[in-house]
Parts: sequence; C-alpha cells; structure tokens
Amino acid sequence: MSFIRLLLFGFLALSVVYLSISVYSRSVRREKLEKAWAKDNPGRTDLAARDAFVAEGIVAYNASFRPKLIGLVYIVPTVVVIAIVYITNAN
Amino acid sequence: MHRIKITFRVLVFIIAGLFLHYVLPQHDIVKITSTEIIRTDFSSYNRIFYAQPDSGAVEQPTRDLRLINTDKKKTWLLGFIPRDSTEVMVYRNEDTGWIWPPYFKFDSSDLQAEAASAARGESWAVVTHYGWRVRWASIYPNAVAVRLVDGPDVRIIPWFNIFFFGFLIVGIVFLRAMWRQFRERTVDPLMDSAEHRFDEASAGISEKKGRVSRWLGTWRAKK
Repeated sequence: MSFIRLLLFGFLALSVVYLSISVYSRSVRREKLEKAWAKDNPGRTDLAARDAFVAEGIVAYNASFRPKLIGLVYIVPTVVVIAIVYITNAN
Repeated sequence: MHRIKITFRVLVFIIAGLFLHYVLPQHDIVKITSTEIIRTDFSSYNRIFYAQPDSGAVEQPTRDLRLINTDKKKTWLLGFIPRDSTEVMVYRNEDTGWIWPPYFKFDSSDLQAEAASAARGESWAVVTHYGWRVRWASIYPNAVAVRLVDGPDVRIIPWFNIFFFGFLIVGIVFLRAMWRQFRERTVDPLMDSAEHRFDEASAGISEKKGRVSRWLGTWRAKK
C-alpha cells in the first residue's frame, strides 16, 4: 500500500518538476530567438515577421532532441531509488 | 521590519538545518556490545520519531523494537573531529520501508543478525544511522548499516552527503533561475499592462471628479 502511495506521489511531484522545467526551457529558447532576431534585424519593426521567426524556432525546438532530455526527470530518480534499495538491503 | 526579516530567515535556516541533521545519514565508529529487543509503547509526542512496523506487518499501538547497544567514539563538530573518549550509544533498528525517510530499508532482521555477530567479537564497526538520541523522550537514532572495520582510526568520507549538498546547491540555483525567468517573461509584462490600465483608470476618475466638482461649483455662491 505504501509502495503505491510512493509511486503516486512521486509521479505527481516529478510531473510538477517536469512541467516547470519544460516551460522554463521553452521560455529561455524563446528569449534567445527574440534576441537573435533583434541582433540580425536592427531597427526593423515588422512584428509579424518577428513572430513568425520565433514561432518557427519554437517548432524546430519542439521537434529537436533537447526537450526529450527533460524526460530524464522521471528516469534519474527512479534509478536512484532502485540503487538505494539495492545498496541499503544488499548484504 | 528589517529585524523581523532577519529573525525569520535565521529561524527558517535553523529549522531546515535541524531537519537535515535528523534525516541525513551519519557515521559513528562503535564497538557493538549487545543487541536486544524491548516492548515499546509509543506516546503521541515521540511516535513521529519512530518508523512503522516491519514492512509487511500490521500497525499496532505496541510492538517490539530492536535495539543495538554500543560504545561509541566521541567526536566534535558532527563527527569531523575525532576524540579519544567513548560514550554509550543505543540505536534502534527499524524498517523505513517505502515511507519517510527514504532509506528504503527492509532488512532490519539481517542488520540485527550482523550486529549480533559483531557483538561477539572485539572488532570495531562503523554504524550508518540517521536520527537523534533524546533520553528524556526515549528517542533513538535508526541504524541503517553496520560495517566492520580494522580499528577505531578509520577515515570516513560521507559520499552521500557530499553529493546531496552538491545537488541541493545546483537545485537552488536552478530554481532561482527559473523564478527570475518567470518574473521577467510573465509577471513583469502583466504588471506593466496592469499598471498602464490602472493609470488610465485613475486618469478617468480624476477627470470625472473634475466634472462633478465643476457641476457642484455651479451651485455654489459666486464670490
């Protein structure tokens, strides 16, 4: 019973971490894209073109390998827990 | 206000420090003298300082508790500075199971057997444990592992705590970066637009007020 509770609350806690890191990572990428646009097109005030550039960059980011790395948030703690279980109980 | 802030921060720091000191593993160099089992009746205030019954067993108000009696080498400063003198230390030996704190210990019986075996000889052992010994509340630290060593002058490197604090610092820095990004990209623009709207609204109110007072002025006696 307590094992199921650990699974449930562990999953919930890690999901919160996963979502916050995803949002943070995308936000950092968006900021980077905006800065790149500002550097390449100084003084240009065409907001539609800027938005299109940023949206395109975000789509490329979503398709890349980087956001999938955030899935490690689930894998690493699981591996750590299995390692601790083994180390604590092995004779 | 400044003083309250500092007091609050110091309090938070002390509570977090005590919490970590209770929960993180520590190593004692001991000579195990005997093992025993006592019947325990928990009270409401010392119950939280005990774990649950053995994983797989049922919870009762009273149960047996495995204890490990030792002579412990005294230390200064959380075990960093060794001393020559010894003192008596008693550890409990309970399963933490899948519950708090996350040691995932299921092998209390095996550990008790190891301790009993160590008690027969004269050899020194390193006991990994968490928790405190509080005499007046009958609280014992929980032994997690026993390792036989050659002598009392063994060098102990707390690997887990090193990694734990490293990870804690990285985590805090990361959390701070996330919070700053969130403030810069989400909260500040919202506040700016809210401020703008508030300015517009207050400008409208003062204009209206002007109109009302001007209308009232038409009723006032002309000087």
